[in-house]
Amino acid sequence: MEIQWSLVSFTALAGAGAWLFFCVGVDAFVQRTNKAAFPASLLAVVLLALGGLCSVTHLSHPDRMLGALAHPAPGIFLEALLLGLLAVVAIVFAVLVKRQAGAGVRKALALVGMVLALAFTFSCGSSYLMASQAAWNTPTLPLAYLGTAAASGTAVWAVLTAVLKEDVAAVRLSGWEVLVGGAAALVLSAAYGFVSGMAVGEQALLFWAAVAVCGGALPMVCGWVMAKHPDKGLAYAVVALVGALVGSVALRALMWLAGSALMSLFGVSI
Amino acid sequence: MARNCIVVNVDRCTGCYSCEITCKMENGIALGEHWNKVVMVGPFGEYPDMTRYALPTMCQQCEDAPCVHVCPTGASYRDEEGKVLIDREKCIGCKYCMMACPYGVRDWNAASKTVEKCTLCGHLTAQGELPACVKSCSTGARFYGDLDDPDSDVSKELAKYDPADIHTLEDVGNHPSTKYIMTSMHGEWKERV
Repeated sequence: MEIQWSLVSFTALAGAGAWLFFCVGVDAFVQRTNKAAFPASLLAVVLLALGGLCSVTHLSHPDRMLGALAHPAPGIFLEALLLGLLAVVAIVFAVLVKRQAGAGVRKALALVGMVLALAFTFSCGSSYLMASQAAWNTPTLPLAYLGTAAASGTAVWAVLTAVLKEDVAAVRLSGWEVLVGGAAALVLSAAYGFVSGMAVGEQALLFWAAVAVCGGALPMVCGWVMAKHPDKGLAYAVVALVGALVGSVALRALMWLAGSALMSLFGVSI
Repeated sequence: MARNCIVVNVDRCTGCYSCEITCKMENGIALGEHWNKVVMVGPFGEYPDMTRYALPTMCQQCEDAPCVHVCPTGASYRDEEGKVLIDREKCIGCKYCMMACPYGVRDWNAASKTVEKCTLCGHLTAQGELPACVKSCSTGARFYGDLDDPDSDVSKELAKYDPADIHTLEDVGNHPSTKYIMTSMHGEWKERV
């Protein structure tokens, strides 16, 4: 199957935005940062919106897209619904931060956003669970989507905390978050790689180099160094972000290359 | 609900492609696009027990149609007669139905930029006629009707054969309605082509 770059970009960008807000949510509970929550919430909305726009470019008739509202069903409708809800939560959260609303309200909204971020990034992969596609039809696929989004989103958060010169404790925590995000990307992508056969097939080299090493191991190492040496945080956060995005995009692109219907009787390529 | 579908007696099919051509003419399908396609299967097996047959393919009218489940706008739907159809005015061109179809029997209409497939010639059957491919089959290998109606052409044809000679394409939980009749005398049936 051909790589659908619109959909690759959609889930890679929106996934990063979702997990960026997840980190904002964690921060609402541990309260390590002073400045990052507001711009991070807005950036999360921008990434979600950019991802949404990318998905629209996949459609030949986006003018009919609102028809989805009349047909609630799992898959695309659920992705769109979760993306929209998460964007609204992030906007409201940014307003609450700006107005210095009480910690309790912020924590409650942050929790809602964190759950939505998890559900959204999982749903982006679960839309591809189809009995007709053997290489996709495994629960490890949505988990790999979630893991690679976690690596990207935590890395964006780490870049922000470093750029905004947050306290050492905040940068250190964001380093640990990048490490956890990278580990999630590595473990969950590897699980999908083995179950789908991608990790041992003809794309194995690309899978291990781009997805596992760049997208998982590299952010892990960078996150660990950030946590140990917060003063050098920015450089490592940027490297982690580049690696995580490469891994996230590569996993999604490889998923399309691995896609092959049970039968292709008309010989039509998607 | 009725289970209208096509039944093909593969033993009778000569692979003349008249069903494919008539379908194109009846439904105005562009060159290179299909709603109905004859696929040559084989040859396979060990000489002298070789099998080769013509397999006319089209939407299999699945009872649990994955295309209907994944369509975000309801463009792929099941009508009141139980037929799986596409409302092209609702199609946004996401192609999820093409990914979900286990058989790859949906095609992309490059002009309208929508997904299309066999309609069982609903415009003809609504007037009591047969689908164009059934009407034109030069060997009488194609039948149309309701599997649940014992007096339908499909039920009568299937009743002539041993259940072991009645096949479907591989079922991955979608339960295709379309049946293929192929006796062991003719060769070995292949579930996956």
